[in-house]
Amino acid sequence: MNHLVNIIKKELRELLTPGSVISVLVMVMLFAGLGGLIGGEVDKAKALPVFGIANWEDGDIVLDDGTEWDVYTYFYTIYENAHVPASEIGNYVKKVELTGDIHDVMMENEISALIVLQDDFGDQIESIMAGAVGVYKPAVYQYYLYEPTGMFGSVSSTTVSSLVAAMSDSLSAFLIKSSIEDKSQYSFLSHPFYYGDEYLNTVVNGKECSGVTPQAIASAVSSSTMMIPIIIMIIIMMVGSIVISSMGSEKENKTLETLLTLPIRRTSIVTGKIVAAAIVGLVYGAAYMVGMSFYMSNMMNPLSSVGGDVSLADIGIVLTMTDYAILMLSMFLAIVCALGICMILGAFAKNYKSAQTMTMPMSILSMLPMFVIMFSGWYGSGMIIKAVTFAIPFSHPMIAVQSLMFGDYPLVFSGIAYMAVFAAVSILITVRLYSSDILITGLGQSKAVQRFKKGRRPGAGRSWMRRASRNIRPRGTFIISPGRLSPR
Amino acid sequence: MTDALVLDDVHKSYGNREAVHGISLTVKEGEIFGLIGHNGAGKTTTLRMISTLLRITSGSIQVYGYDVAKEPDKVRELISYLPEDAGAYKDLTGRRYLDFIASFFATGAEKDAMVQKGMEIADLGDRIDSKVDTYSKGMMRRLLIARAIMPSPKLAIMDEVTSGLDVINAFEIREIIRSIAASGVTVIMSSHNMFEVEMLCDRVGLIDHGNLVLLGNPEELKNQYGAKSLEEVFVKVIKEAEGSE
Repeated sequence: MNHLVNIIKKELRELLTPGSVISVLVMVMLFAGLGGLIGGEVDKAKALPVFGIANWEDGDIVLDDGTEWDVYTYFYTIYENAHVPASEIGNYVKKVELTGDIHDVMMENEISALIVLQDDFGDQIESIMAGAVGVYKPAVYQYYLYEPTGMFGSVSSTTVSSLVAAMSDSLSAFLIKSSIEDKSQYSFLSHPFYYGDEYLNTVVNGKECSGVTPQAIASAVSSSTMMIPIIIMIIIMMVGSIVISSMGSEKENKTLETLLTLPIRRTSIVTGKIVAAAIVGLVYGAAYMVGMSFYMSNMMNPLSSVGGDVSLADIGIVLTMTDYAILMLSMFLAIVCALGICMILGAFAKNYKSAQTMTMPMSILSMLPMFVIMFSGWYGSGMIIKAVTFAIPFSHPMIAVQSLMFGDYPLVFSGIAYMAVFAAVSILITVRLYSSDILITGLGQSKAVQRFKKGRRPGAGRSWMRRASRNIRPRGTFIISPGRLSPR
Repeated sequence: MTDALVLDDVHKSYGNREAVHGISLTVKEGEIFGLIGHNGAGKTTTLRMISTLLRITSGSIQVYGYDVAKEPDKVRELISYLPEDAGAYKDLTGRRYLDFIASFFATGAEKDAMVQKGMEIADLGDRIDSKVDTYSKGMMRRLLIARAIMPSPKLAIMDEVTSGLDVINAFEIREIIRSIAASGVTVIMSSHNMFEVEMLCDRVGLIDHGNLVLLGNPEELKNQYGAKSLEEVFVKVIKEAEGSE
């Protein structure tokens, strides 16, 4: 039994290294953070929507019997029933004046959904109810501002659409209460105004798209871009693993010392390793892209009719050749940044096994932005998440796909500039590391680690001890032949 | 004779720990110089500094007039370093490995000639086309010796070159070292095998706790200490050093 315990202890000591424990803890924190992120997005989606009503003054209906129904009062009551304080309801249901372009009005009022009542909305309904001939039922128009805000970004527009449908039912119930003998009006009573998709517009990149719901756009954008973050994550993880493992193997197989004494510049060794890993990473990435595009097309085709087919090109969301070139530049720089970090990590790998442990931070760093982009999107994230995502260089090609679609070039170029600086700094650090002793001696011999170890020793920090130790003559200082010893 | 290697008051510190305390010595061209000392004495650290692998804390090392710290690229063109327990890329065959190394020194026909020379030194027969990870320790060492010698370095630096080899392999490798020195290559090597050092080296230096405590021709040192072998000299010097502390 003791032998078994000894073996188990030995195995645990080897497996539970500080590196592996830290990696597991970081993973736990990552998933906890991810849970918080998704929870936050779900809460946001569940929150009461903020929207505007234009021509709200035309929404008052007074019937002959003196009963009254008002559009704004209807929405006000809904929010009141949802326990929103009366003083705050105006922040949710905003009265909007149509003073100019719809897009500008929405931006000015900070709303992403706008309900516009047709002129004389109330008067027309009153006229129909009074039996007027030749009066058509009015329409309620919906305008949405499309924002690329991740998985749950379009939920608020769905809620506003539901509110309009509920408004139709409420008005219908109100009208039915008044006695009408004319059976031909029953269709009007059940649907007193028009509000279908044909009366719905979504503003994308400042352009109004008729009959297209934000959900349909979100679905189309998602299906055409969701692959990119996954592929970038896979490429980063692969090239990271290749480079770090390569360094681990060099040390384990004792080939590094030979390599470093060959007549070749350190920059050539660093560049050679980076370029080779980048080529392999791009080949793997291309293979995954082809494979996943087949997978996604097969998976999405049966579902495409459910959300409604939306051609992104028709609504002006297309990537031009210049955009693709910018995206490729962003991806290339992300790979170089990843390789720069990996070369630094690889310099500290003692062998192949420790190299495997060192790939964990790279995996975490590449997974984090992928989840952020998928769940909340760059534009839907809070400041802290944005700051963390921006700081991780691999985030930028993931962000760039949608940013380019929606013309946010300043964000894309600032990401490229950041990656260029990051890549340059990481390569400079790598070259310095390759010219230092750390590559051969490891961290154990570095001054910082020795100071740390010394600090942990019992009695460390006692200055009198250090002074005394300086006075002790080191062993073997009795040099027999001082000075230069030359052959006779 | 030209000075092939000059160490002048070389110190090496790892943090607060000094591993080499001011070693000074000169190795002449064509000489086989042996560094001896117990484990951790500073032999490998010294060889690594000469090989441009480790930075010198203070002092200077010159290889054929080139300063190791200031002109490492020039020095690497002149040296060939064979570390203890060195390995080769396991996925390559012996021939491909030699070809890979030769490509850093020559191109075209010159490179092919270098590879051919390497294959002759390694003398692995058909196994030169086998993958390196199928080689025995002796075969691997022969391949690495061939790798180190085929570019015709001016200074060969060899750390524990026959460590762990059987009698035949060790003998053959010593013969190779003797022949390259005869052709004008300067060799500095470390070894725990006093018999080997006594047979091979023109001069030896004994390092103890980072200090060069003894230097000379094996025969002279034996006479000086009244010893029958270099091994006996080694033991006497080390005991003397321990006694004086």
